[in-house]
Amino acid sequence: MAYPPVQFPVPPRPSAPLPVPMPVPTSDVMPHTYRSDLAQVRALVLEEARQAGLAEDRASELVLAVSEVAANTLRHTRSSGTLTLWHDADEVVCEIHDEGVITDPRPGQHRPPADASGGHGLWIVYQVCDKVELTSDATGTTVRMHMALRRGGATA
Amino acid sequence: MDLLTTSVATVESESEPYTLVELVGEADVTNSDALREVLDAEVAKQPSTLIIDLSGLRFMDSSALHVVLRANRAMDRQGGVLALASPREPVAKMLRLTAADQLVPVYQSVAEASAG
Repeated sequence: MAYPPVQFPVPPRPSAPLPVPMPVPTSDVMPHTYRSDLAQVRALVLEEARQAGLAEDRASELVLAVSEVAANTLRHTRSSGTLTLWHDADEVVCEIHDEGVITDPRPGQHRPPADASGGHGLWIVYQVCDKVELTSDATGTTVRMHMALRRGGATA
Repeated sequence: MDLLTTSVATVESESEPYTLVELVGEADVTNSDALREVLDAEVAKQPSTLIIDLSGLRFMDSSALHVVLRANRAMDRQGGVLALASPREPVAKMLRLTAADQLVPVYQSVAEASAG
């Protein structure tokens, strides 16, 4: 069976990590701590997405993205991480913070070979999320993932 | 209840028998070692065809995918074939995003996979 070669164009994405901490827009958002209970992380994301009215297929993509980032906490650190979720009329936002450090200057910007043992997580995040904000320094990494409620809609 | 359950059967068909591995639940980094053990054991029996039924799988992450692709390479080295069947849309999308569907044949049903 022949598989034709497929081109995977990488859309341009902001590549420089943001140098300043990202403020949480509302004061009543509580972070959830996780370590190995990724199923719980996914359930929380799905529930937030449903409450926001995100379409089911996009909700499952957001679940995948957030789960991959949370899995990186397990894969690359020995500590727990925090998950913070919120939504407004325009978007659902999920933020993961852990003590890991990303050394790749352009994380998630290139797709690793399909059978590579690692590196797919952030690629997936940048492919499915409408907007990704990522900071990483010696104190840890924060990934904030945005999914617009309206297909093709812009996020703030 | 386990997050991921696996069941294995050898299916006698009109052509060659094949090994059928059913995954039910969610496959992620927390159970990928267990999944690898199951697939390693089945690959070691050197079946000509190994079909993984994904119809009961709600979720797969890149760690679980890596385990599947590892089994795929082992089957290939042995001259066998590994195929995926009946992925739900979130899993199918993940296979497309990672280009894994270019390395492993993906069918819409076990019947199609066994005939392919």
